[in-house]
Amino acid sequence: MAVYKRKYTPYTGSLTPERSRFFVLTRYAFADLFKSRFFVLLLILSLVPSLFFAGYIFIANNKAVQLLLPTGPADMFSVEAGFFTFIMIVQTQAAFLLNCWVGPILIAGDLTNGALPLFLSRPFSRADYVLGKLAVMGLLLSGVTWVPSLLLFTLQAGLAKGDWIWSHMWMVVPIVLCSVIWILMLSLISLAVSAWVKLRIVATGVIFISFFIPAGLGEMSNAIMGTVWGRLLNFSYLFQIILTRGFREPSRLLGTTGWNEIPVPAAWGVLIFVCLLSLVILNARLRARDTVRG
Amino acid sequence: MLGLDSHTNGKALRSLVGYMPENDAFISKMSGVRFVRYMAEISGLPSAQAMERAHEAFVYVGLGEARYRPVGTYSLGMKQLVKLAQAIAHGPKVLILDEPTNGMDPPARKRLIELIREIREASDISLLLSSHLLRDVEETCDEVLILRNGQIASISNLVEERRANRKFLELETIGAEATFTSALEGLGCECAVFTNGRIKVVMPDGVEIREVFKVAADKGVQIRRMNHRRDSLEDIFLNAMEQTGAADGRI
Repeated sequence: MAVYKRKYTPYTGSLTPERSRFFVLTRYAFADLFKSRFFVLLLILSLVPSLFFAGYIFIANNKAVQLLLPTGPADMFSVEAGFFTFIMIVQTQAAFLLNCWVGPILIAGDLTNGALPLFLSRPFSRADYVLGKLAVMGLLLSGVTWVPSLLLFTLQAGLAKGDWIWSHMWMVVPIVLCSVIWILMLSLISLAVSAWVKLRIVATGVIFISFFIPAGLGEMSNAIMGTVWGRLLNFSYLFQIILTRGFREPSRLLGTTGWNEIPVPAAWGVLIFVCLLSLVILNARLRARDTVRG
Repeated sequence: MLGLDSHTNGKALRSLVGYMPENDAFISKMSGVRFVRYMAEISGLPSAQAMERAHEAFVYVGLGEARYRPVGTYSLGMKQLVKLAQAIAHGPKVLILDEPTNGMDPPARKRLIELIREIREASDISLLLSSHLLRDVEETCDEVLILRNGQIASISNLVEERRANRKFLELETIGAEATFTSALEGLGCECAVFTNGRIKVVMPDGVEIREVFKVAADKGVQIRRMNHRRDSLEDIFLNAMEQTGAADGRI
């Protein structure tokens, strides 16, 4: 079908492997995302806290710099599990904000003008489609959660004396594992909500309030019924329970102690349920057929 | 289809199919050529080839000048052409077109019909066109399958129908008597005589119209008007709709 011939000819060239074809979606999505200045600004802002944490680690490991501070050398500069728990909480909240903006862009654009049947009429399954979009979220949110956290861990390991790295190596597991859980949940919720409401701005709002409204309702029910189980609706809280337990930290960061804390298995159960529910919604909304009524 | 089982080889089969849906199907903020390239890449074309084919498809459907504009800014007719471009960019073996001329003005419709015929004739591509516009179907298809309530109401081979129509004459005559119709029947024709000299003639294979004129001249009959009856697709469609039973059951 050469242009100068202006004649239709079939394609006879080679094809790309089917397994990696979902990555086409990821590539195009990233290209589109980085055209947006707002997205780039949001991404940079998401990484700013990591710079402060890096500065903190540098000071914590440098007595000369500490001497220059008004307080002088002190034990306040402690880089232990609690510090990395705090890093993770900050970075996962940044990931949440990024997710609210990016998630709807990925799917709503395809659904608003009915492009989905075009994807699914090709050698491309719904699983490939979801995988392609999840890969975008996974790569992007990894870049603001476990990747900077591991870099900070590496920085601390490099600056700390002795065998700090070996005595703290176990922290790599909660850093990566908790980030993956959070990324997966955020991604599935945002894709499911976007597939459901289709309109980008509305989807952004719904994702945002899906974290705050249930949490508020849960706290109301706690206050009325004198229980703590209402916190099962607070996804951020549940994640932080898993996170603090993963870092072997007491729950002081959560503002709760002992008896009134939600059990970890219950927190896992709710997060897994939310992920499954999101998959059910995606399965229901991402259909190849297009029903025309009337 | 194409020797592949749709249940076990769904993906392989879909890689051979180009689909142009009836409804809007595009990504509004993408430029036309990028959209078609995107779709071609999802069909399995490597990036460079997808880009080349996308440009070619755009020029081919006549949207070369508008290829860098966002698809959302296109007119309805242009969107139809973009849908056709994305359906052919990866070089399918089967092209499924759902109401392709919807919303197009007459010149654009004519151009699209020409394109469809050209695609069909230029390669071994099979075309499946779904439309309520029977004129489009007549101009582009060889076979017609008419559906009623999800059941096959009629299957027609338009080529055969056209051939049959050529053998069906409507005559308006002056001076025609029984001897004229007897002479035609002697040639193997079937005749039905109506008032005011109107005669309907079904001619067998091998009998030419010239022989009808010859018989008329021999019998002193004036033929004032002669029509090939056009049993149009519309007639076939209406007949199919009037029939009570399904022709071949549910699809």
